[in-house]
Amino acid sequence: MQRRRLWPAAVVAGALLLTACGASSSTPSSGPVTIVFATQGLGSEGSATKQAIQEFEKANPNIKVSILTLSPTENNAYQQITQRFIAGSSTPDVATLDVIWPATFAKSGWIMPLDRFHPDLSNFFQGQITAGTYNGKTYAMPWFINAEGIYYRTDLIPSAPTSPQQLVTDAQQVMAKDSSIKYGLAFEGAKYEGVVTAFINFLGGFGGSLNLKDIDSSANVQALDYMRSLIYQDHVSPPAVTSWQESNVQDAYLSGQAAFAMNWPYIFQLAEASGSAVKGKTGWIPFPSSMGSPQAALGGDELAINAHSQHPEQAWKLIQFLTSDKVQIQRALAAGDPPAVKSAYTSQLYDQAPYYKQEKAVFEYATSRPVTPLYPQISQVLQTELNAALTNQTTAQAALAAAQQQITSILNGHGG
Amino acid sequence: MATEASSGFEVLELRRPPLWWRLRSRTMAGAFLAPTIVLLLAIAGFPLAYNLFNSFRHLVLTEPGTERFVALQNYVTLVTSGQFQQPFVHTFLFTVVSVAIEFALGLGMALIMHHQFRGRGLVRAAILVPWAVPTVVSGMLWKNFFDPSSGFIDWAGAAIHLPTANLAWLNGVWTSWAVILVADAWKNTPFLALILLAGLQVIPDDLYEQGRIDGAGVLRRFWYVTMPLLKPAILVALIFRTLSSFLIFDVIYVITGGGPGNATETLSYLNWQAFLVDTDFGYGGAISVALIIVAVIIALIYMRVLRVET
Repeated sequence: MQRRRLWPAAVVAGALLLTACGASSSTPSSGPVTIVFATQGLGSEGSATKQAIQEFEKANPNIKVSILTLSPTENNAYQQITQRFIAGSSTPDVATLDVIWPATFAKSGWIMPLDRFHPDLSNFFQGQITAGTYNGKTYAMPWFINAEGIYYRTDLIPSAPTSPQQLVTDAQQVMAKDSSIKYGLAFEGAKYEGVVTAFINFLGGFGGSLNLKDIDSSANVQALDYMRSLIYQDHVSPPAVTSWQESNVQDAYLSGQAAFAMNWPYIFQLAEASGSAVKGKTGWIPFPSSMGSPQAALGGDELAINAHSQHPEQAWKLIQFLTSDKVQIQRALAAGDPPAVKSAYTSQLYDQAPYYKQEKAVFEYATSRPVTPLYPQISQVLQTELNAALTNQTTAQAALAAAQQQITSILNGHGG
Repeated sequence: MATEASSGFEVLELRRPPLWWRLRSRTMAGAFLAPTIVLLLAIAGFPLAYNLFNSFRHLVLTEPGTERFVALQNYVTLVTSGQFQQPFVHTFLFTVVSVAIEFALGLGMALIMHHQFRGRGLVRAAILVPWAVPTVVSGMLWKNFFDPSSGFIDWAGAAIHLPTANLAWLNGVWTSWAVILVADAWKNTPFLALILLAGLQVIPDDLYEQGRIDGAGVLRRFWYVTMPLLKPAILVALIFRTLSSFLIFDVIYVITGGGPGNATETLSYLNWQAFLVDTDFGYGGAISVALIIVAVIIALIYMRVLRVET
């Protein structure tokens, strides 16, 4: 029922047929080896992965790849992968990781640093490189990028707002003028991971950041105050946003009832689909910043190699293949999965899906969540405190001070 | 060997089996029971013992190599960290209120279904539907019903001019609890009703007859005939409901996620967080053991208060 944000539903069928010629020929090695690739995906997504693997095997006759299909539910997939890693298994050789996992996996010694392969990082978005880096080493390569931005109705708002305040003014004007617009700005404020990514987006508007040593900085308090005002003073966001998740925001926007809506790139395809109430009336920007640079919370998938893999060279070859321009473009066109590779954003992509131009502009501001193995605990604290402030149980200042205190004790309790 | 007795029953006269047979049958009985005992130990005994063992250790899955015996440290943390008190109060109050509401409604439903009326069979079957719906599904259902923009509750409230029109239920502490209570009662009341109905059906009609002859009114008959004889069923129903209310997790996880803030976090929520967010199987294990102890105490109190000989 709820749309998964962090694991973009990759659906390609057939598109990867064309990728065989793009793969480099393999250097001869001692004999055929089999590597295991753990990834999510059923139905057309699964067959797409299979297709890509077939092409890879064709180009690399000495490598056989067996696919370990993980549960489509993020938490279950997490358990399936960690069970094998905790047991010290040498497979899967290559695993697909959510952007928030690499630090935990790296610290636990489950995945290997990739620096020995001298990866070319310049071709990826900075935010996603950060998410795969732990203690100065690269542990995971980006596969697909995702970032959260602001959708707006281009038919009602002729020019995109350039500051948080202007966004409120625009929203209020639209609501006063057009009675079909019930929500000025829809965003997800429920107590779950989404409220943290929403907060990151708002932080960019005020020059704040999710620095774990300085959670209650004045800029951060200002951003949280702004979020509260949206609900209780400016009345551009309904009180119900405090229990809304992305799917509720999606409904509000796609039904044509919201002037602005915070959400992930997948909405763009749905908005431009035939029959959509907002077709041809949709623009997408990072949450506007009045100072410094905007922030767009990062999501997406990364690829990593098992620290106990017996075939790291072959595993690396597979990762290189999956992150080649050609594979990335074809997958993006067929499945709507935004390429993690910058050089894939070419006219070849824009001709068929022009909205990728606007998406790339948001990805430039992609901002990783704190990269720490303790992220799950820290996120839990932030979810509770942010939601408490949004539901008016406490002030922004008090909520962030309480969050800071708990986060400090989590960091200390586990030796940082 | 059977002889026709005067009462019409068939009586079997059995020869006392020989000693070797009796000894062997004892061994046989043991052999037949063994798989059950092994199975019970494997699925109930082992996890409980393993969890108890873990609760005395430092065991965080994401910190491999740091496992060690820490004696009572997890329990000390549980008591002194202040994390336990608030969820405990939430859980306790929720249990009392939800069991009271569900018992009252369930008893009412059972009494109605006990009467003869047209379509009784259909009603008895239909009443179980909410109970058959998975909790996660019913939780989502009620969350959507209470949604101010798409749910019917606020819409209906507006239609009859209640002040709840446009109320964002999950934005407030008390209203959030109300949503959770409604969703929980909707799902679990039928279960209580079913058990109580079974209890009502074994009460002999002549007792009511006698009561009527002695001049007892409806209320007196209910209080002095129905209630005492319903006690065993009430005990079973209350123990079941109280324990599962005490362990409430799924409804809350789906509807509020413990929010707003941490206002609807319960002990099981705390336990979930320790196990699956922090991957701390030592501390999580200690919370589990504490939950088991409290659950046993609750069961003992019921046995004592309702004093039913089994």
